[in-house]
Amino acid sequence: MTSVDKEGPEQVIGLSGAALSRRGFVKSGGTLLVGFGLLKANPMQEGSPAVHGNSLDAALPQSWIEIHPDNTILMRVGKPDFGTGTVFTAYRQIVAEELSVPFEAITSVISGDTDRTPDGSGAFDFLGRGMPNVRKAAAYVHQALLDLAAERLGVPKDQLTVNEGIVSGGGKRISYGDLVKNQNLTLTIPVEGELTSMFGLSVAGNPPLKPVNQYTVVGKSFPNSVTVSKVRAKETWVTDVRLPGMLHARMVHPKTLGSKLVSVGPLDKSKFPNTRVIVKNNLVGVVAPTEWEAIKAAQQVAAGTKWSDWKGLPGSDRLIQFLKEDADWKSVPPKTSEKSTGDVSAALSNSPKKLTASYALPFFKHAPLGPAVAVGDVRADGTVFVYTHTQNPQALRSGIARMLSTSVSKVVVRTFAGPGHYGRSNGGNAGAEDESVILSQAVGKPVRVQWMRHDDFQWSTQSSAALADVQIGLDANGKMMAFEINHYMPAMQDDRLVGAVLAGLPTIPAPDDKGSLFGIANDAHDPWIYEGTPAVLERAYGTAEIGKKSSPIAVGLRDHSMRTPGQYQQNYPRELAITEAALLARVDPLEFRIRHARDQRAIGVLEAVRKSSEWQPRKEAPKLEDGVKRGQGVSAMFRAGSYWACVANIAVNMTSGVVKVEKITVAVDPGIVINPDQLKRQVEGGTVMGMSMALFEEVRFDQSGVTTSDWRNYPIATMADVPDIKVVLINSPEVGKYGQGSEAANALASSAIAGAFLDATGKPARRIPLRPDYVQSLLKA
Amino acid sequence: MVTILVNGEKRGVQASVDTPLLYVLRNELQLTGPQFGCGLAQCGACSVLLNGKEVRSCITPLSAVGTKEITTLEGLPARWAKQRGLSKEQAANTLHPVQEAWIAEQTPQCGFCQNGMMIKATELLEQTPSPTVAEIKNAFSSGVSPHLCRCGTYLAIIQAVQRAGARMTKRSEIL
Repeated sequence: MTSVDKEGPEQVIGLSGAALSRRGFVKSGGTLLVGFGLLKANPMQEGSPAVHGNSLDAALPQSWIEIHPDNTILMRVGKPDFGTGTVFTAYRQIVAEELSVPFEAITSVISGDTDRTPDGSGAFDFLGRGMPNVRKAAAYVHQALLDLAAERLGVPKDQLTVNEGIVSGGGKRISYGDLVKNQNLTLTIPVEGELTSMFGLSVAGNPPLKPVNQYTVVGKSFPNSVTVSKVRAKETWVTDVRLPGMLHARMVHPKTLGSKLVSVGPLDKSKFPNTRVIVKNNLVGVVAPTEWEAIKAAQQVAAGTKWSDWKGLPGSDRLIQFLKEDADWKSVPPKTSEKSTGDVSAALSNSPKKLTASYALPFFKHAPLGPAVAVGDVRADGTVFVYTHTQNPQALRSGIARMLSTSVSKVVVRTFAGPGHYGRSNGGNAGAEDESVILSQAVGKPVRVQWMRHDDFQWSTQSSAALADVQIGLDANGKMMAFEINHYMPAMQDDRLVGAVLAGLPTIPAPDDKGSLFGIANDAHDPWIYEGTPAVLERAYGTAEIGKKSSPIAVGLRDHSMRTPGQYQQNYPRELAITEAALLARVDPLEFRIRHARDQRAIGVLEAVRKSSEWQPRKEAPKLEDGVKRGQGVSAMFRAGSYWACVANIAVNMTSGVVKVEKITVAVDPGIVINPDQLKRQVEGGTVMGMSMALFEEVRFDQSGVTTSDWRNYPIATMADVPDIKVVLINSPEVGKYGQGSEAANALASSAIAGAFLDATGKPARRIPLRPDYVQSLLKA
Repeated sequence: MVTILVNGEKRGVQASVDTPLLYVLRNELQLTGPQFGCGLAQCGACSVLLNGKEVRSCITPLSAVGTKEITTLEGLPARWAKQRGLSKEQAANTLHPVQEAWIAEQTPQCGFCQNGMMIKATELLEQTPSPTVAEIKNAFSSGVSPHLCRCGTYLAIIQAVQRAGARMTKRSEIL
């Protein structure tokens, strides 16, 4: 890819903010590689902070898109796939659309390896912040191809049309493949940002984009190409990475979140002659030739290892009380939402009917089905390879370089398929990566660190717990005159490498430390959609990670964003409070929402879900049938360009307290629907996760650490729990935008279920999960 | 050295007999369909068939295998081919109907649990060719532990099992 013909003719053409130059025929090793720009030296690259050593130069078009003489196309993107298949479906569709080629013409997608992709950032906000990179890169390349065709065919550019990769005009035609043959065209794509930051590079400028009404590829349900290799056991998973000479390791993590190592337990060398125990500060790893030896030896070492004690956590039973009474919400000022308006206190005091209520959510686990695993390979020349499954490989690369006090150009992160992380690794690490590198450095060989199930529950991050206080004022006609909500939540994004923390090596700052990316301030994450309310006040208060300050190793209940981050924690109290207010107003809760919404798309999803769920306003109290009462609940949300509404139908066993979700209906209007079948599957999945969180999930912890350790004490929904799920997709191409896809579904399900519980029982469940003991206590109250 | 029967072939393995079958399959035989999910028989990601019965390879020691036949995800096409008496040529181009249905229904999200789901589906359909939704739910939620999917693909799994069942039943009628 570095061969350059410096003798070729060059011309520079202005193109929508990008500079375009063309050089002559280039061959490399006798094989024509690409038609486009093999030049390494261009003005954008020199001294550009965007380019780091061994990553592809995002300013070069072929770093993104290669068009081959046989008309096949390869695309690259830094974001790895995490199961939604977006890079293999929606991104491919968007690129095919901008290039005006068939979907199938894109035969290769390279994603998520730091040395093979250009732009960084990660598997989150795929269609929001992430999408414009591939779309614009494709659009720039499309313009460059048209310029080339205009010259080749001798037809003005504006008289050319492209269909299925064939450029036509003036009675002549030429395929992209023929167009790029013997051509080497350097187009400089303008980029900005920092490659290894959380958000990576952004493609700048405004190349002409294909009008939505000319779309032929977007909107169709192409299958996810990676599904076949996974189903056939042909995929190389992160769990499958095996390097020559590689050793297996298991970690012996501290006894508590504040424990320091006192002494390492003995290892019977007669049983484990080739096993080594590596100790670095409070990091203890056991490295062995085989996996089973590593497991058994680590168990033996762990049994004899002594740690100091620590009790610095409130314990999950006292969590709500701790958040209300002990946590410091004043160290940073609260943020007030943009939608806040009017004089709320005056409106509240003038309201004849008022709702005052407090809501609480526990910590949740992302709970990937496979525990963290990574292979680290620190080579003799100081280069470091990390083989892992992370949502943000470039950010991990930066974190590993920082930990080793080396340059990012020495570090390569390669990613592989693995279990969904649901946000846990969007800041770079999922756990195990840093430990694999530390151990590899110590033993001089590649080391595979596989966390056990308990490591993954007890040493990973968790989704923040939260509180909310709500006041709603209603007028005599049942209209909301005032809505006030105060949200409280610890800072979400502790992306420190926990192995580095234990080993005493450098990491990025924790959220409450100086220089951290986001700090501890909370934000208004759940955009207000009931704009018919004259007075609104939404405030968000933040606080530091619980326990970190008093922990001698600076580890507390590490918080992390998880699907619908922050918005989950804010939508549940808001939507349940709105349902409670509707009841107080004696208005049907779905109708109540429509009456207060002003945006037509918000009303549209509510109407759609009303129709599709066959919602009927309640005329009489639910009857007790076979010990069960049934109810219906509704929730709504605006997230990242998409409007959502959800109806849940549930059955509550009034004796046992068991809640069974019978049906969930979700309507989503994301603007342009890119791939209906894939979106539908994603929404189904998010819905099940949300139901699971609402009914079953809660991280348990004592004063010393997380006691949740396996699937028995962190139960999630099983197939037996799954309701009928109906997904209604509303395609609104006139919006002209791709709204973000699936993850909102999990937040909607939880708040709709809580609404249905209120409808069935008359009792508001102001915290979740709705486990039988809690439900029984509510029913008795 | 222990000899085990895997996907129709006898394979010699070096691991000590207390080694869980999962690590033998993955690390010695490069049969990486089964995944490590918990090591506690709580999730089903590691499932294989042992004489047609779904077991959790993460807690099944090598010593417990004996002469029983192991079928992994990699062995499903050959298992189907053998059951249907397909020629070698046909077999080479055949997926198990369960696998075909998983692709047709676009069942996986991350796919990490789907090995166990497909193994469980095969066990179920070999015993109950046309299961009801209730029977499917019961099969996947009972036994040693429920088969867990964190991405929430259960509905897609139910649809894929039904599709595979229809396909398998249809073929047996033709044959």
